[in-house]
Amino acid sequence: MNPAIFDYIIKMVCCVFAAGILIYVFYPSRDTDTGVVKTRTAYLYERKEVVYENLRDLSFEFKSGKFTQADYDGMRLGLEAEAARILAEIEMLESAKA
Amino acid sequence: MPLLGSFCLLFALALAGYCFVVGVVAAVRKDAIGYRLAETARRAGMASFFAVLVAAGALVYAALTDDFSVAYILHHSNRALPGPYKFAVLWSGQEGSILFWALLLSAYGFVLRLRHKVDQRLVAMASMVLAAIQIFFLILVNFVANPFGIMDRLASDGNGLNPLLQYPEMVIHPPMLYLGYVGVSVPFAFALAALIMRYPGEKWIHITRRWTMVAWLFLTFGISLGAHWAYAVLGWGGYWGWDPVENASLLPWLSTTAFLHSVMMQEKRGMMKVWNVWLIFITFMLSVLGTLLTRSGIVSSVHSFAQSSIGNWFSGFLAIIFVVCMVFYVRNRDHLRSENKLESLVSRESSFMFNNLLLLGACFAVLCGTLFPILSELVRDVKMNLGAPFYNKVMVPIGLSLIFLTGVGPLLAWRNTSVGSIKRNFAIPATAALVIEIVVGFVLYKNGVHFWADMGQMYAMMAFCLSTLVIATVTSEFIRGGIVWKNKLQTNLLAGIYQLSRRNMRRYGGYVVHFGVVLVVIGLAGAAFNQDKEQEIGKGDKVQIGSYTLIGEEYTDDDNANYSSQAALLEVYKDGKFLTRLNPEERFFKASGGQPVHIVANHSTLREDLYVVYEGRNPDTDHPIIKIIINPLVNWIWIGVLVIVLGTGMALVPNAAPVSVPLRSAVAVSQIDERGMQPAGAGK
Repeated sequence: MNPAIFDYIIKMVCCVFAAGILIYVFYPSRDTDTGVVKTRTAYLYERKEVVYENLRDLSFEFKSGKFTQADYDGMRLGLEAEAARILAEIEMLESAKA
Repeated sequence: MPLLGSFCLLFALALAGYCFVVGVVAAVRKDAIGYRLAETARRAGMASFFAVLVAAGALVYAALTDDFSVAYILHHSNRALPGPYKFAVLWSGQEGSILFWALLLSAYGFVLRLRHKVDQRLVAMASMVLAAIQIFFLILVNFVANPFGIMDRLASDGNGLNPLLQYPEMVIHPPMLYLGYVGVSVPFAFALAALIMRYPGEKWIHITRRWTMVAWLFLTFGISLGAHWAYAVLGWGGYWGWDPVENASLLPWLSTTAFLHSVMMQEKRGMMKVWNVWLIFITFMLSVLGTLLTRSGIVSSVHSFAQSSIGNWFSGFLAIIFVVCMVFYVRNRDHLRSENKLESLVSRESSFMFNNLLLLGACFAVLCGTLFPILSELVRDVKMNLGAPFYNKVMVPIGLSLIFLTGVGPLLAWRNTSVGSIKRNFAIPATAALVIEIVVGFVLYKNGVHFWADMGQMYAMMAFCLSTLVIATVTSEFIRGGIVWKNKLQTNLLAGIYQLSRRNMRRYGGYVVHFGVVLVVIGLAGAAFNQDKEQEIGKGDKVQIGSYTLIGEEYTDDDNANYSSQAALLEVYKDGKFLTRLNPEERFFKASGGQPVHIVANHSTLREDLYVVYEGRNPDTDHPIIKIIINPLVNWIWIGVLVIVLGTGMALVPNAAPVSVPLRSAVAVSQIDERGMQPAGAGK
C-alpha cells in the first residue's frame, strides 16, 4: 500500500478511536445512584457479623476437639462480651437517631 | 503503526490525567454535579485501558511485521526470531516493559472501575489513586522511554532479542512477575483511599483480599518460573543465586505474604491496622523498587537488561509515594486505632505477629544485601557485593523459624491457648516429626552421609523435621474438621473433608498453600546434599559421579538462521544399567554477536536431578568439557509451586452456601441457629 494512503488511514483511525472514547466518557449517565456514605452504625453491623463468625469458628473448632472445655468457655465468654458491646452501641446510635 | 501507538499513548495520558484531576474535584464537591463528574472520571479511567491496549498492540504488530523503522524493534528483534519471542519483544526492553507495566496497570484499573458498585465512593477514591500511578507510567512511556521512536535510516535486520530471553519460560515469566508487581497497586490504592477518606471498617480489605491473593499468586508463579529458567538456562546448576534482580522480586513477595497473614488479625479482631496499612504501602514501594532495580541497571545483575537514567524517575516516584503515604498517615492515624489488644503470647494472634516480624526481618535482610553495593559505593567508594553465604546465614534460620510457625500457628486458638489445648493438639504432629527425623537420619547414615558434621546438612535435617510437623498439622486440621462434617451429614470422611473445604475455601486453601510451601522447603533442603564434577570427556571416556556413569558417545556442530551450536551426546548408566542418553548443548546467537547460552540436559526424578552442562571445548584437545551435578529433590520445588498455585486457586473460590441439616435429635432451639453451626449465645 502507498505509505501516504496508509498514513492517512492511520490518522483517520486515530480520529475515530478518539471520538468513540470521548463519546463514551461524556455520554450522560442514566445511573443517578451517588453511593452511600458509610456510617459508624453500618460499620458496627459489619463488626457484629465478624464477631458472630468468630463464634461459629470457635464452636466448630471446639467440636473438632481442638480446645479443652475451659479454653472454649473462656474464649466464648470473651467473644460474647465483644458482641454485647457492639450491640449496645448499635442500639444507642439507632435510638439517638430515632 | 508507530503513529497510532504514539497517539494512543498520549491519549491514554490525557484520559488518566482527566480521571485523576476530575476525580479530585468530584471528591471535594460531594454533590450531584460532583457525582456526574466522578462518573466521567471513572469512564475516562476505563477508556485509558483501551488506549494503552491499542498502543501495545501497535508495538507487537511492529515486532511481528519486522518494522525496523521503530528503534525499539530494531534493538530487540530480528527477522529470524521465532514468532512467540517476537510477541515477547513487548516486555524485553526498557521502553516496552514500561509500556507493559502501564498496560497491566490500566487493565487492573479497568476491572476495578468496572466493579465500582461494590462501594462507589471508596472505588472512586481508589480509582483516583490508581490514575495517579497511571500518570507516572504514561509520562515515562510518552516522554522518557517512548517505544515508538523512529530510526533515521532503515536497517535491513534487527539486533535480535537477548539470547538469554530466548527460552519458552521467558515468554511467560516476565508477564507473571509484572502481573504480581502491578497487582499490588490495587490493594495499595484501596488502602490509601480508605485512609484518605477515614473509611470506617475493614470492607476495603474484603474488597482487596482477592486482588492481593491474585497479585501474590502471580508473584509466586513468576518467581518460580524465573528460578526454573535460571536452572535450565544459566547452567550453573542452581535456581536461586541471590542476584539483585531476583531479590527485587522476592521483596514484595515477602511483604505481601506478611500482609496476607496479618490482615486476618484486622478482619477477625480489629487489630494491627497501622501495621497493615504500612505493610501494603511498603509492598507497593518495594514493587516500584523492583522495577527500578531491573530497569535502571544501578546494580549489576544477569537480569539487568537495561542501563539508563530512568532510575532517577523511579527514585523520585518512590519519594513522592512515601511522602503522600506519610502525610495521610500523620493526618488520619487516629482512625487506625486497634480495637483489641494482644492478650497472650501463646495465641493465634501472636503467631501471626511473629510470622510478620520474621517475614519483614527477611525482607529487611534481603533489601540490605541487595542495596549494599550501592551503599558501600556511597560510603567507601568501593562496590562491595554480599554473596550467597550472607543470605544463607541470615535467611536459613529465618526460613526454619517461619516453617515452625506454619506448623504451630493453626493449632493455637485466638486470644489465648492453655497448656491442655497445646498438649492435645501437638502430640501427634510432634511425634510424627520426630519419627520422620529419626528415619531420615538413619537412611542418610546408612548411605554414608554424616550430616552432623556439616551445618548445611544439619539445617536440611531441621527443615525435614519441621516440614513433617507442618504436613501433620495440615492433615490433622483436615481430618478433625472432616470428622465433624462426616458426623453431621452422616457421610464418609472424604465427603466430610470436601464439605469442610467448600465452606471455608480461604482457610483450607491456605492450608494447601502451606503444604505446597513445605514441599518447596524440602526441595530447597535437598541442595545441602548436592554433588558435582567437571571433566573433559572424549569419545568413549567415562566419568563417575554418585551411582551414575556417563560415557561420551558423539559431538555435533549445528547451524541455523538464528544460532550455531555445539552439543555432546552422552550415555548414562545407573548402578551399571543403561538409563538414558543426554544431549547438553551450547548455542551462539548470531544477532547478538555470538553470545553463548547453555541448553542444559537434565534427567529428572523425584529423588534427584542429573544435571549436565556443556561448558565448551578444550582448544588443545577439541574435547568437550562437561559439568555434571546431582541435585537431590529439586523436583519437589516445582511440584510444591504447583500445589501453592492450586491452594491459592482454592482460596480464591467463594465459599459454598450453608447446608440445612435436619435435626435428628431434640436440640434446644436456643442452642442452634438457622446456619446450623452457630453456637449458643451468638445472638445475644
